[in-house]
Amino acid sequence: MKKSIIAISALSLLLLTQCKKALEQDPKGQLVGTDAVSTLPGLQAAVLGAYQPLKNGYTSGFASSAIVGLVMGSDDLTTHPASNKQDFREIDQFAASNTNGRTPIIWLGCYKTIININNILTAYKNTSGNSAAVNQLLGEAYFLRAFSYFWLVRFWNNIPLITASSYDAGLLSITKSPATDVYKLIEADLQQAEQLLPNAKPAAGRAGAGAAKALLAEVYLMEGGYPINDQSKYALAAAKAKEVISNKALYGFDLAPDLNVLWSGTQTAINTPEAVFELEFSSASGNGNSIYGKSAMPGDENGWDDYFCEINFFNNFPAGKRKDATFHTTFIMPAGNINWQNGQTKHPYYQKFRVNTPTPNYLTSSTNQPLPLIRYAHVLLTFAEADARANNAVSADDYAAVNAIRSRAGLAPLNGLSANDFESAVVQERAWEFAGEYTRWFDLVRLQMVESANANKNTNDLKPIGAITKANYFLPIPNADLQLNPNLSFK
Amino acid sequence: MTKFLLNHLIIAVLIMLPGFGLAQSLSVSGKVTDNKGAAVPGVTITEKGTKNATATDVNGAFKIVVKNNNTALVCSLVGFLSKEVSANSQQPLKITIEDDTQKLNEVVVIGYGTQKKADLTGALSSVNAGDFKSQPVTSVAQVLQGRAAGVTVMSNSGAPGGDASIRIRGNNSIQGDNNPLYVIDGFVGADYSAINPQDIESIQILKDASSVAIYGSRGANGVVLIATKKGKSGDTQVLFTVKASSAQVLKKLSLLNAAQYAETVNAKALATGTTPIYTQAQIDQFAANGGTNWQNEVFRTAPTQEYQLNLAGGKEKTTYYIGANYLNQQGILNNSYLKRYALRSNLESKVTDKFSISFNFYVNRQQGTNLRGNLGRQSPVTQALAWAPTVAVFDAAGNYTLNDPVGSITSNPVALEQDQELTNITTTANGILDLRYKFSQDLSLTVTGGANYANTQGYTYVGPSVSQNLPSATRSSLEGVSLQQTDNLTYSHLFGGVHRLTATAVFEFQNYQANGFSATGNNLTFPNLTYYNLALASTYGVGTNYSNNALSSLLGRVNYAYKDKYLVTFSIRRDGSSKFTTGNQYSTFPSVGLGWRLSEEPFIKQLNFFDNLKLRGSYGSTGNQAINPYQTLTTYGNVSTSFISGTITPGILMGNPGNPLLKWETTKQVDGGIDMEILKNRLSFSADYYHKSTSNLLLPVTLPLYLGGGSILSNVGKVNNWGYEFSLSGDPIVSKDLKWSSSFNFSLLNNKVVSLANGQNIMYTGSSVGSGLSTQSEFVLIPGQRLGTYWGLTYEGTWKPSEAAAAAQYGAVPGDAKYLDLNNDQQINGSDYHPIGNGLPKYSYGWNNNVTYKDFTLNVFIQALTGFSKLNYTYGSAITANSDNRQATIADILNRYIPGVNETSNIPGFSKTNKNYIQSTRFMESGNFARLKNISLAYNFSKDKLKKVDLSVFVSATNLWTITGYKGFDPESSSVTSAPGADVNQGIDYGAYPNAKTYTVGLTAKF
Repeated sequence: MKKSIIAISALSLLLLTQCKKALEQDPKGQLVGTDAVSTLPGLQAAVLGAYQPLKNGYTSGFASSAIVGLVMGSDDLTTHPASNKQDFREIDQFAASNTNGRTPIIWLGCYKTIININNILTAYKNTSGNSAAVNQLLGEAYFLRAFSYFWLVRFWNNIPLITASSYDAGLLSITKSPATDVYKLIEADLQQAEQLLPNAKPAAGRAGAGAAKALLAEVYLMEGGYPINDQSKYALAAAKAKEVISNKALYGFDLAPDLNVLWSGTQTAINTPEAVFELEFSSASGNGNSIYGKSAMPGDENGWDDYFCEINFFNNFPAGKRKDATFHTTFIMPAGNINWQNGQTKHPYYQKFRVNTPTPNYLTSSTNQPLPLIRYAHVLLTFAEADARANNAVSADDYAAVNAIRSRAGLAPLNGLSANDFESAVVQERAWEFAGEYTRWFDLVRLQMVESANANKNTNDLKPIGAITKANYFLPIPNADLQLNPNLSFK
Repeated sequence: MTKFLLNHLIIAVLIMLPGFGLAQSLSVSGKVTDNKGAAVPGVTITEKGTKNATATDVNGAFKIVVKNNNTALVCSLVGFLSKEVSANSQQPLKITIEDDTQKLNEVVVIGYGTQKKADLTGALSSVNAGDFKSQPVTSVAQVLQGRAAGVTVMSNSGAPGGDASIRIRGNNSIQGDNNPLYVIDGFVGADYSAINPQDIESIQILKDASSVAIYGSRGANGVVLIATKKGKSGDTQVLFTVKASSAQVLKKLSLLNAAQYAETVNAKALATGTTPIYTQAQIDQFAANGGTNWQNEVFRTAPTQEYQLNLAGGKEKTTYYIGANYLNQQGILNNSYLKRYALRSNLESKVTDKFSISFNFYVNRQQGTNLRGNLGRQSPVTQALAWAPTVAVFDAAGNYTLNDPVGSITSNPVALEQDQELTNITTTANGILDLRYKFSQDLSLTVTGGANYANTQGYTYVGPSVSQNLPSATRSSLEGVSLQQTDNLTYSHLFGGVHRLTATAVFEFQNYQANGFSATGNNLTFPNLTYYNLALASTYGVGTNYSNNALSSLLGRVNYAYKDKYLVTFSIRRDGSSKFTTGNQYSTFPSVGLGWRLSEEPFIKQLNFFDNLKLRGSYGSTGNQAINPYQTLTTYGNVSTSFISGTITPGILMGNPGNPLLKWETTKQVDGGIDMEILKNRLSFSADYYHKSTSNLLLPVTLPLYLGGGSILSNVGKVNNWGYEFSLSGDPIVSKDLKWSSSFNFSLLNNKVVSLANGQNIMYTGSSVGSGLSTQSEFVLIPGQRLGTYWGLTYEGTWKPSEAAAAAQYGAVPGDAKYLDLNNDQQINGSDYHPIGNGLPKYSYGWNNNVTYKDFTLNVFIQALTGFSKLNYTYGSAITANSDNRQATIADILNRYIPGVNETSNIPGFSKTNKNYIQSTRFMESGNFARLKNISLAYNFSKDKLKKVDLSVFVSATNLWTITGYKGFDPESSSVTSAPGADVNQGIDYGAYPNAKTYTVGLTAKF
């Protein structure tokens, strides 16, 4: 009797000690609210984390061929006419559906970075620590937001402009803002960034003041053309680019002497002085660059045929060192090499995006190669074009800028051109220099050349379905978001 | 109750009557009557312990020659209690047998107590060990499947120990967990996958509000009470069972052979202006020598063995049951298996008349390797349907062929099986100690302490051939501890002989805590060392995590029965959960149940027809708090990104916004039911209607991508579930040698989304199963429509030559796929998506039969699910070029539209303009199926032949045959798991692990 009561009481007591823990959440290990960025390391983790959506594999950002898919409408890129390339094909043929599987990857990547930056731009106020260090991170944050919005506004034009620091149900029914408002924010952010950032980039793959200025020059150049058509921006573009060119040593920029280094597909291509802003990758950790490698290679060589060059573009490309460095035209096959004309897709491929991993010819779809999104070459050609347009005349500096590129390409220098001819020559130079590098499409858009560039296709290239109109200059907003927020269907 | 005891006492006395005289044969005759004196024909009279038997004639008379005049005769007949009489009593024997009212006097386990079955007001289904005795079940899911009305079991994965979704009366919740609550020997929230089915004595399934409300916040999905075996005082009983099985995939799909494939690939190249890949010489060579049959490469005939040893027995005051089990089940995909070691010990002791102890303890170690049952694009099944049959498994050097140059863009299916490993070893220990003190005959206190410890060790290796030559390995560890305290005070008294009152008051507290960590080595220097040497790698990943939550509850229940005729149950429970913020933590869940046993009323009694007739009704509310802890908080998550090439830097990103306003999801349920038993309990029937209304539905509201994507968990909307359940069981044939007992159950389940928050008229939920295949949300919630509604395009066949002009408006040519243009804007895009079908089964059937002929027992068990569609991504991805596939492999592609040749086909032809949308009615198929779930034949060797051993052998076949029109491997398997939130997405099959057809032989020895 006694024993039993003791036993029962003891067990009850033993158990009752458990209940003392109140029903409170104890989120050990969780970073709750904005507290996480109250310290400098916390702020740094948040800023570095905000790069991640820009290069998150096949999910978001620029790490996969989605970005190539979105610029398929340009004349330097096309895709396999059948195979599993429906998403690419419909953009190449100017028949993009809002259910396209690739558009949300870029849309999400840019916006996810923006959302995180918005949070940082408020949360930093609580950050204690060295104000110079805080400012530097803040500058990087402004750069990233501007960078992200610049891609969005160029692809989609009028878009939701989100600046709220945290989630709010009202954002679920937001309407689109006009592109001009977006550009205003981009300019303001970059002006902040160039002030706050140190001159040189803090590390490979991160932005310094030079990158902010170079991007701002690109932004102004774009604004000079369609759809903003603010010609006054050309002078700003030229001035900003000039700032970078004149102080290139300060920012740590220069042209790589040899294109074969830039496109070596090895370690030597990483963080060259030419990389004004590039994304870095680590394939071993699941942070690979998947635009390069298999995606860019022909099926004959076990590649995926995601993208390659249109035939007329290739044929018109001036022969020389640069053409050799740019294209892959002889396919290596066990039974003997073949020329591109005899390949499965009958197209030349890009040499630039092949990779040479430590084990040669081991095919990979996940590489360590960097993705240069702004090269010093961009700065030079942006300057040359903008300066000529701003002054309606060609200066010696303009020739020097474009001829630096031509000389590296093994081409004769330009001289004695009218302003118009010079501008066209620079635009053409950009096409060759940045072939396959997500630059040509935006040049076609801002100069309203999309129609003409797609007018005379080679018979072996995919042709537009129906006539190209200005509506085809921009992509449809992803259906997923349109469904959730029908207000986005209003102009 | 007293009658029951008395009967047993009589039997006991009879058994113990000392025999005398020498053993010699004796002719015995007699007559059997019932308690009203009427002759009972058809009673089996058996000489005890032998096969010597006869039956009574129409006058109830019998005659039998017994070999041993000291023996007893056993009289048995369905509907009556069996009775033993001494053979050498005064001749002729006059034997009176009693109606078997035992069924009604049976005491069943209900939540926090027991109750006389007759007094139940709730809707319960029972499954007993005997129901699955000679079936080779290896999991609780298999035990429940098809055996109880209102319980729907879908084996999502055919992997050993694979995921099954078990649903009681449908799906209440969208986000929340729809798995029922499992209570094993009183331990609330036990892990059913850790239970060895061989230890199960009985299962009670609580369905209606009056039964489940006692479990309050966790009762909304129904409750499965599992009681494990107990010892009985007496000699130790040893039971040994051994089973051996062989399993194969249910079917294989009809694919192109190598030559057909090569010809088809070339035809596509010609049609789309590219260079044919294969030469005629190659095609001829494939025709002559064949190619790779990838299905044969990934599937295998898989053996299983299982051993079970039970020891049970005890003395008068102390009993024990010990069960030991070893299971080694190989999967039908290569290199996949489950190994289980289980040991259980159940002890009970009456220390004194007032004080008793019971202690149940089990340990279980389960190793699962490569049981990733629901994987989509990287599943060996998907890849077996994607890789070109013209490619060999191994290259010339004997390594896995790394690239398929023509078909798939991803890894070799055999390498996916062999060159990677995902092993989880889970050790579970569960102990539950009951201390019971009886203050008096009426009042008792039970203090229960329970602990569950689960430790999962993960071992993952991804080899070079499936990782772009970047082999990696991970070790992980997760430890979870769950503690429970339950104090139960129960008072029970029969007032004035007619008012039976039972009152129960309970305090309960549960706490769960988990701690985990993991380490990953990337780009291993020595891949062959796998996860045993992570330090030698080029980069590393580490992670740690912690989670805890607590639930504190008070509950009370009163059961009242007047003359066992009018029955009332009232219960109330108040739960507090740490998962919600202060102010939303507590919720109260009341219920009431009423019962009327008409069969006790004189006007029914005089009909002399019903052995039992009862009407039941109940109403009550239950909750659902099955969200993850911390979802009221906004938190950052960890990410790693790269700055210096080849290295990674940690960073943080904002996670889903938290919702501090989250509160309980509440389900109100009304139930009406009838139970009847007739023909001396030979036939019993039970029917129920229920209606459940769930409000404050927890739903992750998808956020737009322009807000960074993700979702915010919110209480939104309301969903109703209603349905009917019928079960009928009986003994159609009862004779001396042949007996047939049969039980049939049928459930109809309907549901409807009633409303959504803020007057929204549509919400989108995605499964993410079809990543790469489908880009849109695959499911929608629309008020007025069912849960699990598919969202997609209507496929209208191919554009025909006569429609060339119309096709051109869509940028298509004849032979291209034609979809319904809902808004007639001459383009097919997101605005043409609409509800196209439903993936949740509406009707569920189960029919279980046992036929005994002499020493043979045949079991036939048929299960069917109907009223649902499946989105067949497996087939869709293999007949179109999509996502990871560049070519079709399904043989049906031979019947495609070919201009000038086959222009009637609705399988699109090859063109540069054709668009295949997998998320369309083209790939939606009826999932209806009826399946012979089990057929088994057992032979029982008579004891007299084998002296002391009771031996039986059986052969069985599981899933032997299936009637279905479904084109995939298996209509039952799906790529969506039973995990919380996945229910509405059920029905997508994308390379899911198909169920197997299994043949088993087994032997049971009892001595």
